[in-house]
Amino acid sequence: MSNLAENIIPDQEPKIVIRNIGRTFHIKKSPAGPHDFVALQEISLEVQKGEFVALVGPSGCGKSTLLDILAGLAKPNSGAVFIDGKQVTGPALDRGIVLQGYALFPWRTVRQNVEFGLEIKKVAKGERREISTRFIDLVGLKGFEDRFPHELSGGMKQRVAIARALAYDPEVLLMDEPFAAVDAQTRETLQDELLRIWEETRKTIIFVTHSIEEAVFLADRVAVLTANPGTVREIVPIDLPRPRQNSDIRSSPEFGWTRHKIWELLQNQPPADHRAGEQRPVADAISPSAAL
Amino acid sequence: MFDKIDTIKTHLLRWSGVVVFLLLWEAAPRLGWLDAQFAPPFSTVLGAIHELAADGSLAKHLVISIWRGVTGLLVATLVAIPAGFLLGLRLPVWAAVLDPFLRVLSQVNPFSLMPVFILFFGIGETAKIVVIAWVSLWPILFYTITAVRNVDPLLLKTARSLGITTGELYLKVILPASLPVIFVGLRIGAGLVFFMIVAAEMLGANAGLGWLVHNSAMNYQTPRIYAGATFIVILGYLLNRFLLALERAFFSGEQEQVDLVPARRSSAPSWRPGWRSAAAAASVIFVFLLAGGREVYLSNLANASLGGHLGHQEEAGEANVEYTCPMHPFIVREKPDVCPLCGMRLVRKSDAAHGAGH
Repeated sequence: MSNLAENIIPDQEPKIVIRNIGRTFHIKKSPAGPHDFVALQEISLEVQKGEFVALVGPSGCGKSTLLDILAGLAKPNSGAVFIDGKQVTGPALDRGIVLQGYALFPWRTVRQNVEFGLEIKKVAKGERREISTRFIDLVGLKGFEDRFPHELSGGMKQRVAIARALAYDPEVLLMDEPFAAVDAQTRETLQDELLRIWEETRKTIIFVTHSIEEAVFLADRVAVLTANPGTVREIVPIDLPRPRQNSDIRSSPEFGWTRHKIWELLQNQPPADHRAGEQRPVADAISPSAAL
Repeated sequence: MFDKIDTIKTHLLRWSGVVVFLLLWEAAPRLGWLDAQFAPPFSTVLGAIHELAADGSLAKHLVISIWRGVTGLLVATLVAIPAGFLLGLRLPVWAAVLDPFLRVLSQVNPFSLMPVFILFFGIGETAKIVVIAWVSLWPILFYTITAVRNVDPLLLKTARSLGITTGELYLKVILPASLPVIFVGLRIGAGLVFFMIVAAEMLGANAGLGWLVHNSAMNYQTPRIYAGATFIVILGYLLNRFLLALERAFFSGEQEQVDLVPARRSSAPSWRPGWRSAAAAASVIFVFLLAGGREVYLSNLANASLGGHLGHQEEAGEANVEYTCPMHPFIVREKPDVCPLCGMRLVRKSDAAHGAGH
C-alpha cells in the first residue's frame, strides 16, 4: 500500500478505456484484387466520467467503426474496450447511440419513439410515460408528443433521437455525426442544446464529427484521427471556458487557434516542426479559410 | 366551396367511363349490335339480380363467396408472412436457392391444374380455400421477403444497440418497418382472390358467386352469368378500395419518405388506427368468418342431403323444407313454386332425391 494506492481515487478511474483497438476488413472484390483494409490500428483512448470527447478525422479514418465497437455492434480484431472496468462484449443499455440519419421509427409517435428503449428495458407503462414526458421536455419538444416523425423538421427529429437515447438512462452517449444532416443555423442551436443537456445530465459523451469547429465548440478534448490506417494522431485538450453556449466563444482567438491546430493535424503535417520553422501570426491562423 | 365542386367534378370524370360502358351495354343488344342471347342488356341483368335478391339467394351467394375469399386470403397471409420472414432473414441461402423454384410455383395456375388440386385436396371446402390461398400467397411472400431485407439499417442499428432480443427485433422493428411493403403484396394478392373465385367454386360447389356464374352458364341462363360476374367485379373492387384505404390510414406518413405516395401535408397531428380499432376490426372479421362458415356448412349439408344422404334429411326436419325442380335440381325455393326454367311444379327436396333414385 504505497503511493500507487493513494493516487488512485475511484472518481478518477476512467469511465471508458479503449485499449489498442485494431479492426481489419477483408476486401474480396476490388480492382486491386482481394486485400486487407486496416480501418483501425492501435487505437487507445481513455475517457473520464462526465467528459465530452469529440473524434474528428477525414472520411475513411474509421470513426464510425470505432463508435460501432464502443456500442458493441462490431467486434475489434485486437484490443478491447472497457466501461467501468468491464469489457464490452455486446450492445447494452449502459450506452445510448444517436446516429446521423435520426433513425426514428416512422410508425411510432414522438412519445413512443422516446419510450422505445424503456419498453426494451421492461419499464412499467406509467413510469415510461413519466420518463418520456421529462425527456421530451428536456429537448424542448413539449406539445409534439403525439406527432409522427414525418411531421417533424430535421432538427426536431434529431432532438427526438437524443431524447430516445437519454430516456433509458445510459451512462455513456455515443453520437455519430448527429448534426450533419441539418442546416447550419439549426446545427448551432442543437449544439447549444446538447451542451445544456450534457450539463444537466452529466453523461459521458463520445461525439464523432467531421466538423472541426463543432468538435472544438463542444468537447473537453478532441481526438484527431488520421486515415490509412485509422489511428489517433493526437488528443487535443480544449481549454475554452464553460458554459460555452449562447456566448461569442466561436469568434475568440483561442477558438480560432485551436481549430487551426486541429486542421493542421488533419492535413497530416508534422505540427511541431512546422510551427518551429515559421512563426505564424495568430490572425492568419484564425482566418475563416484556414478552417477549411 | 370550389374545392367541393372540384371534388364532384373529379368524381364525375372518374366514373364517366363506367357510366358510358353501362349505357353501351344497355344500348348495344337493344340496337342489335350484339346478340341479346349472349349479351343481354344491362336492365335484363338488373332484373336477374333483382330476382336473385328477392328470393334471398343473392345474399347467400355473396356471404359464401366472401367467406371463401377472406378465408383463402387469411390462410395465404398466415403462411406467407412467417415464410417470408424465415426465408428473408433466417435462411437467406435457402431463399436464393429456392427463388427460381418459387417463381415457377407462383406461375402455377390452379385453374389449369385443377385435376392436380382435386387429387391433393379433394372437392370439398379445403380445395376451394387452397385454390384461392395459392394465388394470393405468392405476391405476399415475395413482397415480405423483399420488405424484411430492406428495413432501414439505421433502424436496425439503433434497435440492436439497445441489446434487443431477436424476437423483439422482429416484432417491434422489422415487422412494423416492413408492413407498408408487405401490405402492397397483400393488396395484390387480394386482387387475385375474386379472380379465382369462379375457378374455386367450379369444384363441386353448390353456392357462391362463382358457382352462380358456372351453373348459369351450364344452364344457358345468360342474365345470371352477368349478374354473378357483376357482383364478383364489385366485390373485387370494394376489397381493393378497402385495403387501399387501410394502407393510406396506416402508412401514408411512412410512404411519403420513400415517395410511394404523394405527400399529404397537414398541420394537425395525424390520427392513426390504434390497437383498439385493430382489435375491433379483427373481431368483426372473426364473427363474419364464424357466421359465413356456418352458412357454408349448412349449404354443403343441404347439397349432401340432395345427393341422397337420408340421415341428413331427417336431421333437417320439417322446419327446413325446400322445394326443387325434378328436372333442374339446382333450382331451390323455400316455398312451393314453379320452376323458372321449365315451368314444372317444384317438389319437396327429399321427394326429389327419392324420385331421382339416388
